[in-house]
Amino acid sequence: MSSSEKKMEWVIESKSSYFDLNLKELFSYYHLLFRLVRKEFLINYQQTLLGPLWVLFQPIITTVTYVFVFNKIIGVSIGGKLPPVLFYFSGIVLWNFFNDSFSATSKIFRDNIQIFSKVYFPRLIVPLALIITQFLRFLIQLVLLVIILIYFVVFKGFNVTFTWYLLTLPLVIFTLGMISLSIGLLFSIITAKYRDLSNFVDIFLRVLMFVTPVIYPLAAVKEHIRWIVQLNPLTPLFELFRLGLLGEGTVAPVQLLYSIIFMAFSLIITILLFNKQGGKLIDVI
Amino acid sequence: MAETVIEVQNISKLYKLGEIGSGSLRRDLNNWWKTTIIKKEDPYFIAEETSHTSNLDLWALKNISFEVKQGDAIGIIGSNGSGKSTLLKIISRIVQPTIGSVRGKGKISSILEVGTGFHSELTGRENIYISGYTLGMNKREILRKFDEIVAFSGIEKFLDTPIKRYSSGMYVRLAFAVVAHLEPDILIVDEVLAVGDADFQKKCLGKMRDVSQKEGRTVLFVSHFMQAINNLCNKALWLQQGHLKEIGTCSAVVNKYLASVQQFNLKQSWDNIQEAPGNDFIRFKKIELIPQMENPDDPLDIRIPLTVKFKFWNLTDNVSLSIGLHLFSYGGECIFDNQSPGGYYDKGLIEGECTIPGNFLNDGSYFISLIINKDTSIQLYYFEQCMSFDLEDYRGDIKWYGKWMGAVRPRFPFRIEQTTFSIE
Repeated sequence: MSSSEKKMEWVIESKSSYFDLNLKELFSYYHLLFRLVRKEFLINYQQTLLGPLWVLFQPIITTVTYVFVFNKIIGVSIGGKLPPVLFYFSGIVLWNFFNDSFSATSKIFRDNIQIFSKVYFPRLIVPLALIITQFLRFLIQLVLLVIILIYFVVFKGFNVTFTWYLLTLPLVIFTLGMISLSIGLLFSIITAKYRDLSNFVDIFLRVLMFVTPVIYPLAAVKEHIRWIVQLNPLTPLFELFRLGLLGEGTVAPVQLLYSIIFMAFSLIITILLFNKQGGKLIDVI
Repeated sequence: MAETVIEVQNISKLYKLGEIGSGSLRRDLNNWWKTTIIKKEDPYFIAEETSHTSNLDLWALKNISFEVKQGDAIGIIGSNGSGKSTLLKIISRIVQPTIGSVRGKGKISSILEVGTGFHSELTGRENIYISGYTLGMNKREILRKFDEIVAFSGIEKFLDTPIKRYSSGMYVRLAFAVVAHLEPDILIVDEVLAVGDADFQKKCLGKMRDVSQKEGRTVLFVSHFMQAINNLCNKALWLQQGHLKEIGTCSAVVNKYLASVQQFNLKQSWDNIQEAPGNDFIRFKKIELIPQMENPDDPLDIRIPLTVKFKFWNLTDNVSLSIGLHLFSYGGECIFDNQSPGGYYDKGLIEGECTIPGNFLNDGSYFISLIINKDTSIQLYYFEQCMSFDLEDYRGDIKWYGKWMGAVRPRFPFRIEQTTFSIE
């Protein structure tokens, strides 16, 4: 018996470890990852009138609405000298990336029960594919943002100075993506087990948006309640994103560090929990 | 001796029915606190282990251990709910066992449904890739097999059409084409024969025979189709309510299983004339169905002649009686109505029998009703559905597993000869 055990290549046991992340196996499924990303794009834009243009329409229409409502009707101050269109569009694009990644990953067990109950593959492939899909959508929107920026610089005389902050953008986007992945996954585990909590996801996202500098800059928040917004680990990322790209934002290095530590911490916790619970969840969904 | 490729050790699987609901978050937290932080034994788990098992707990599998050798084709049999699918899902890594472990070597592919990973909005081409990768093929395998898969499925023309426009037959063919080209070391198949037409089933089984017999791969196969199991597998594993009832040579286990599940309602007798079924004219004393086979443990199959014996009290003197035997299919359709010639009888016990020949009925479930008539047309008593039995299929060397058509399956002789040797 003991000699045959040594020769065995794999083992399925009743208990799964927290540290059971099999990167080699995960990597062996990278073709599936790309196919799933492709699938997301194909099923969203096949048989639609405007096709992939929807990726751009959604933030454009939201921006127009926000500019109209917040700027023209209510008159919310965005401070500084940024054109409102650029201010809102940049906020919306970044927020959409977070929002869509989060809500997609938080539903993976519910949406994939059919396939999860019929075939084994590393479950992490699915949230990774969703994040990559959202990232690609974000990149397309980012290109539009840059085009709008160039338009304002060339025709409207908007003055933006290039700073070294621009180089932090990849870090900002990566951190934001990973935060949405890890918290989204955490919610997916919880909502798979306790269904009613999935209602909480939407409410949570809506509330979170208002304590994130999406439709207002941090600088416009009154001093005595500013700490509430600063407690949000997304805040430094939004501020730094605008600072790097548009030249206006309020962020200190220690705040960025706070976001990164938050990301690392939540990512580790989630992956551990996912390893431990992933195999058992199929019984309870 | 072939080496062991899967070693199942003491597997049990507990499903807690109805556990997910209000208060379960609190209970889980409480549980976690006690077991992980304070290091006490799990209070709920102990309760389940003792004989006092809550009726919300279901042991889908209990203490299952067995080994699979390289090249084995094992048929897993058992009635519905006996844990067959759960066992396959554990070995396929889809669900975790509650207790025990499975060790093994080699790549496993499981086909638990046809069309895993298919998305109806995508084209046939996309779906081949997605499904292939989902089932664990790598890029090289898919590229190498792509044309073969398309040819096998016969959907060349519709390769770039979304599969939601496919007919169900095309869908199933494409789905099966993908799984048929998997090249795992161990193939796990769950009841795929339940879908598709006879043609598809034939393709399916042919492919599985190739996999196990020609290529020498290891196969675990769940089916309710005993003929297929008998033909494909060298071993069978019989599960009964989550327990491993028997594992061994295929035909032996299958026969024992069939004999155990058959609905036998073959013999009834009444000693007290007052309580016996009947009326003022007729009271039944005994009815019996006797299969004419040598070994009573064998399953009842279509080859076996069945003798219906009956004994009744006739309560009237000098009456003309005739007996009718009605045979009904499970669906309630009358297969035949066999009437005896009439004859005059006096008060007392009357006994008779009638034999349904072997190689006459098709496989299936049947009811027998007995009717006793006076003067050939006036019904004295109708003993409805007094006996029931199941007939198993038997095909001998015929390598075809589709459902045999017809209510009966007689073997009337043919006369066939070649009359000319040219075509004019």
